[in-house]
Amino acid sequence: MTVDLPFGTVPPVLLFLLGGLLIAVTPNAFLRRLILVVVPVYGLVQLFALPMGSSLEFDFFGETLTLLRVDKTSIIFATIFHLAAVLAAVYGWANLDRMQQSVALLYPGSAIGAVFAGDLITLFVFWEMAAVTSVFLILAGSTVRASKAAIRYLVIQVGSGVLLLFGAILYFQETGSIAFEKMELGSIATIAIFLAFGIKSAFPLLHNWLQDSYPESTITGTLILSIFTTKMAVYALFRGFPGEQLLIWIGAVMTCFPVFFAVIENDLRRVLCYSLNNQVGFMVVGIGIGTPLALNGTASYVFCNIIFEGLLFMSMGAVLLRTGTVKGSELGGLYKTMPLTTFYCIIGAASISAFPLFAGFVSKGMIIDGLAKEHMLIPWLMLVFAAAGVFHHSGIKIPYFAFFAHDSGRRVKDAPLSMQIAMALSAILCVAIGTFPDPLYALLPYPVDYVPYTAPHVLHQLQLLLFSALAFTLLTISGIYPPELRSTNLDFDWFYRKPGAALVRGVVTGIAAINGAMTNFVGRRIEGALRSLYALHGPEGRLARTWPSGFMAMWIAILLTLALLVNYL
Amino acid sequence: MIDAQTAFLAAFIIPAIGAVLIALTGKSPNLRETVTLITAIILFADILIVFHGYLAGDVSEIIVLEIIPSIPIAFEIEPLGMIFATLASGLWILNSIYSIGYMRGNNEENQTRFYVCFAIAIGSTVAIAFAANMFTLFVFYEVLTLSTYPLVAHKETEEARRGARVYFGILISTSIGFLLVAVVWTWIVSGTLDFELRGILSGKIDEPLLPLLLALYMFGIGKAALMPFHRWLPNAMVAPTPVSALLHAVAVVKAGVFTVLKVTVYIFGVDFLSTTGASQWLMWLAAFTILASSLIAMTKDNLKARLAYSTISQLSYITLGAALATSMGIIGGALHIVMHAFGKITLFMCAGAIYVAHHKTEISDMKGLGRVMPWTFGAFLVGALSIIGLPPLGGAWSKFALMIAAADTGQLVMMGVLMVSSVLNVAYLLPIVFRGFFQPLPEGGGATSLNDGKLHEAPLFCIIPPVLTAFGCLLLFIYADPIRIFIALMLE
Amino acid sequence: MSEHGPKDDVKGIFDNPRNVNLLKYSLYASCLLVAIADFFVDGHPYFDIEKFPVFYGLYGGIMCAALVIAAKWMRIIVMRDEDYYDR
Repeated sequence: MTVDLPFGTVPPVLLFLLGGLLIAVTPNAFLRRLILVVVPVYGLVQLFALPMGSSLEFDFFGETLTLLRVDKTSIIFATIFHLAAVLAAVYGWANLDRMQQSVALLYPGSAIGAVFAGDLITLFVFWEMAAVTSVFLILAGSTVRASKAAIRYLVIQVGSGVLLLFGAILYFQETGSIAFEKMELGSIATIAIFLAFGIKSAFPLLHNWLQDSYPESTITGTLILSIFTTKMAVYALFRGFPGEQLLIWIGAVMTCFPVFFAVIENDLRRVLCYSLNNQVGFMVVGIGIGTPLALNGTASYVFCNIIFEGLLFMSMGAVLLRTGTVKGSELGGLYKTMPLTTFYCIIGAASISAFPLFAGFVSKGMIIDGLAKEHMLIPWLMLVFAAAGVFHHSGIKIPYFAFFAHDSGRRVKDAPLSMQIAMALSAILCVAIGTFPDPLYALLPYPVDYVPYTAPHVLHQLQLLLFSALAFTLLTISGIYPPELRSTNLDFDWFYRKPGAALVRGVVTGIAAINGAMTNFVGRRIEGALRSLYALHGPEGRLARTWPSGFMAMWIAILLTLALLVNYL
Repeated sequence: MIDAQTAFLAAFIIPAIGAVLIALTGKSPNLRETVTLITAIILFADILIVFHGYLAGDVSEIIVLEIIPSIPIAFEIEPLGMIFATLASGLWILNSIYSIGYMRGNNEENQTRFYVCFAIAIGSTVAIAFAANMFTLFVFYEVLTLSTYPLVAHKETEEARRGARVYFGILISTSIGFLLVAVVWTWIVSGTLDFELRGILSGKIDEPLLPLLLALYMFGIGKAALMPFHRWLPNAMVAPTPVSALLHAVAVVKAGVFTVLKVTVYIFGVDFLSTTGASQWLMWLAAFTILASSLIAMTKDNLKARLAYSTISQLSYITLGAALATSMGIIGGALHIVMHAFGKITLFMCAGAIYVAHHKTEISDMKGLGRVMPWTFGAFLVGALSIIGLPPLGGAWSKFALMIAAADTGQLVMMGVLMVSSVLNVAYLLPIVFRGFFQPLPEGGGATSLNDGKLHEAPLFCIIPPVLTAFGCLLLFIYADPIRIFIALMLE
Repeated sequence: MSEHGPKDDVKGIFDNPRNVNLLKYSLYASCLLVAIADFFVDGHPYFDIEKFPVFYGLYGGIMCAALVIAAKWMRIIVMRDEDYYDR
């Protein structure tokens, strides 16, 4: 099948970057909105006309940079990135300012650039560009908190980028190649690259930037942020470290620990950030297993997660828009006046919980099955627990505390039309993929030999979910369930935001003090030397008049130098 | 069209004629500034002709006069000097436009003296760039110091004089106390001061003494602001901002690190340094300077002081490149001269624009200012990102080359230093922009309130140059490789 | 913010306790149903532990309860005021 495109195929990165710049200079608001939607739609259509293989190659520092490597793996990630950009553009149709509209193309464009990068240097370039562009979405929160969080975010993101560059250079020294292919952990180079990927995919202990910064963004900003950076990192791990056993354990821990924080977190967008952290854990486990089944599982889970996690973020964004808050302690009872948003949120919740007939079910199962087939009992138990935990915080807590629970008395309008369209499209995709997974399976990197709808799979999943719901119900009725409280919960970031920050302040003050003392010391010496010179050679006032004349200057200079040398010795 | 050899000679004469004409037209500011601009444009065009001629192999050495037998004042072209001269003369045009906006906007006095000294300073920078031997370089190095003293002391306040004295005191005492000694020593052992590709010292000096000679050179080149001889640079910030922008981000400080690279390559020789390991200590000192001055920068609330410490840190990138003693280190250092020049001149011009428009010098007073000065703060952002070393801006590639050099010599710690420095740069440069754009303007302010929904930018003359140099940072990202290939010729 | 404070003008389906109970009991019934169904479906287990009757249900239910209780305890250590980092 060939498609005739009005502009032919434009390199996807270029398309997005030019679109973003065009938005920046377009004065008309409607035109900007149109560009924001049209660019990713066009990109999506032309994606399937891109020639397979490597192209757009440039010589650089004696090596070859490959800007466009098209294969099944890059295509599926690029497809969902394009699709997500379209959905985000529709969702943000009416509530993005010009800067955010521009970033809403530049940032996805950078992530897409990373997905098509054929070498580590190109990857580095887009890796950093994603960091730099995305920070503006956090800043757009326009609060003092947001701009502080933005600095912390960027420090960590740039740190990840330079670590990648460090690794890439050493990797080149080791292997003589900068091609971005499967690597083996073991050398400093690969460990650095691995950590760089780990930071952006929010490995345990490297994760706090995510929960710290994303909730400080705007309504659509948080949605866009939640999509790209972490999945770009998942792509990089997918390409670089498939089958790395360590990832199974890292991923398994990653699925479990955020669940605990999610239960006690009050800010519902931050709950979703913990949820996002946990979801990426599933993807990381799939990469660690490394079998075709598990890798397909990861790819399909990335695809589905972006849609349903996005849908949840969209619904919370709508709540924030209408009520001005997303704190669980302030909400409740919104289903009465926001029935459609409630409905879409429940679809998203059902999908993320992997109810049969929804998108999570046909994708997550591949990862958990992949683990079972390798007979890894403990990670498997952790993942099954985490699956129940996901249902608990994203499936029940989010819709329950926002839309049901005790009635907050807020009577607000339902979401505006553009948001409803984006949510409806996402919800349709969730159900469509859940019921007819075959088109998605056809996109996957490896041939699919997996049947999601078997009696035991459906039954086990229903058991897991219904009994979890039962536990929630009984705990709530008995009053054991912890109430939503206004609070900050300390996480690992406490170590660098409190004692770490104090230590840095101490060092900086010390060094500055030493520098200041030395400046005064030398300053006085020079003052003294000059004063004795003036005493010999005339009144203070003469100086300004005589300086421009070069000879005078040279003469004094030589005397000055002698005086100084005497002083120093 | 004049031929390249004549153009080469003219490169030294044009700024001198310009300086005289500026002095003569001082009574009429419009004429005087026209002369300045035209001189800058002619000089740049002339340098481009020389560049073209050099590529075609049409330019040969000029010997001006021979004061001392065998060490003449002479000029010759090699790739690094060619790049440096092009850079300094090209940015002079933009800086002249900027100076006009700034000096008029602030009603500065003694503007004629200012423009005259500026022309002399640029002329000596070009002479440094093309110096054929260490003696010539030394002479013009001192002329540069002398011609910039009145620029630093320009305001003639007590504070300006004090700053200028420290500036002058450190630069002159280091250059005569150390550099001159080093030059004389070099001449005594090797019998020549000519710049030669493999150096002139190999086999002529006791190797244990080599680190000492290197120390005399490196501390003698005070303009490279290696700690502990860095304090002149923050003191020079009392000068009007165009001086800080072109001289203390491009011409003077880059003359320092340019000399560092020249000495490393053409006096010591890269191979000689690397086999003797004489520059090991320098590497560590440069690393210390990079980190310590970044940390000090964090404590400075005065914008120009913060930028000055940032410059000290960035200059040591180049010294580090030299100390690594590999060809990639030299290339990285040379690239960084260009990349940092564009980034830092942008930052300084923005700082000046903020001062012209709102008379603000302290970062804590700049909250929300980006909202009324989007062009200025936008250019500042681009410059800052380039200094940090982030794509898609030129600064990314010089840092990349330096990291390769550190990796080539097995100095993983130095790679770490460069990485930490990037992160520190984020921490002290970007809050300025973020606060400027994303925090609200302070309330009130009576009649001078800026909350009227309109822009309050500096005069156009102060905005266009930094926007252009910011754009230059972007172009340098794309065209870094041709520059690298050209610079690499200096090592062949 | 006149919209605050419960109003009686909007009645939702869950304001009626009958509907809440209906939902509750249908959950209990479904749980019972899937538990019983476990004995009629052959599960192709990979692990021995899966052979335990109603393994998925029990594991999910118990672990969720444990999760909530553990998280509640966690609050003792990690909970601070909302403006903890801003001070």
